Amino acid sequence: MSGCRFTVARTAAEAVAGLAEADGEAHIIAGGVALVLLMNEGLLQPSWLIDVSRAAELQGIDVADDGAIRIGAAVTHREVAASARLASVCPMLAEMAAEIACGRVMNRGTVGGSICLADPQGDPPAALLALDATFRLAGPEGGRDVAARDFFRDLYVTALTENELLQHVRIAPPPTAHRGTAFGKYAARQAMDYASTVSAAVSLARDPADGSMSDIGLGLGGCGTIPVWPQKTEAALRGRRPDTEAFAAMRAALAEETAPIGDMLYSADYKRHVAAVILERTIKAAYRRAGGGGPDP
Amino acid sequence: MSVAIRLTVNGERHDLTVGATETLVSVLRDRLGMTGTHKDCCMGICGSCTVLVDDRPVSSCLLLAAQIDSQSVRTVEGLERDGSLSPLQEAFLTFGAVQCGYCTPGFLMTATALLEENPRPGRAEIVEALKGNLCRCTGYKKIVEAVEAVANG
Repeated sequence: MSGCRFTVARTAAEAVAGLAEADGEAHIIAGGVALVLLMNEGLLQPSWLIDVSRAAELQGIDVADDGAIRIGAAVTHREVAASARLASVCPMLAEMAAEIACGRVMNRGTVGGSICLADPQGDPPAALLALDATFRLAGPEGGRDVAARDFFRDLYVTALTENELLQHVRIAPPPTAHRGTAFGKYAARQAMDYASTVSAAVSLARDPADGSMSDIGLGLGGCGTIPVWPQKTEAALRGRRPDTEAFAAMRAALAEETAPIGDMLYSADYKRHVAAVILERTIKAAYRRAGGGGPDP
Repeated sequence: MSVAIRLTVNGERHDLTVGATETLVSVLRDRLGMTGTHKDCCMGICGSCTVLVDDRPVSSCLLLAAQIDSQSVRTVEGLERDGSLSPLQEAFLTFGAVQCGYCTPGFLMTATALLEENPRPGRAEIVEALKGNLCRCTGYKKIVEAVEAVANG
């Protein structure tokens, strides 16, 4: 029997108290699909686990009348994929969650776990970068908000301090009625692919008068050491219609600000190429949803 | 540190004292002697250890038993009714959906959950539901046919 301690936190406050008591020695566990994998591989030997999978403030998906979204950190990918309300307000989130790994991982894996693991291949981080989400962290001083775009710092390093945990994610209402969102992914296998996955999340608004794109938010998975927010690529597309010239500008900017890691299946160059293809298709899908028409990607 | 938990496994209550880092698959196999649930990759990739927790498929290699206190677990041992195989198990035999058998319990539990949630899935839905389970004998065609036969009544 291991010497590891195990505490069940029923509230965020209990989890924060546990983290303080453990003085930097505790790990937060929710679904366990990443943490237990690391333990099985011998990469992590926790001395104290704080289980937040049933903590009250970390549950539930709320969508307000104006389209503002709150997702608890312990909400599973299955719950995100199954929420009809979420799918109607922000199709990208349901689309993204439905393609994570496979059913049995979706049933346990959580939104918060994926964010806090900060895996550069992760799908939820890419989606939340594109949507300019805000992360609510619970901590000893009560809590603080951190923008998703400031959260991912380095390979598996985030803005979380050792005494904090993620409580929920908030997404502001759509900027206009003409917003479209979409999520696209390329993987060698349909299920359970991991190292070689490249993903793109897109949120944009279409001007009904001239068809130009504005309020563009992009997020990329598998394109660097952290989930990538490609600001130059956003700027290259802003104010344009999604035509050949716009996509040429997009590819040039994308090449500048992405540095995928080559793996046993695909080289970094190949992934950079795939990222441009997937991003273009996903922009077209989001544009169509924003009322822009055009052929299916 | 040990953690006291109560699990209902295939309808039977078990009061257990488990280690904080003990996985469900280890508890099932090593403490309860239920070796029908197979342990293979221990990374959540292969699907061999799939069991149902509160009727939903999960990887029991990536789930700490301490986390599911008071929940219900169903394993391949629980599929029989009064000594008879379930219709899905019968279909696996009829269609030759078992080769070496290592992946079979995982496929049976994943497909059981699918059929309970959606008794009449189409072929595409079956393939989608089973996409995370690996059969290294590559006997997928027979497995899909067996599930399809049950779905078509």
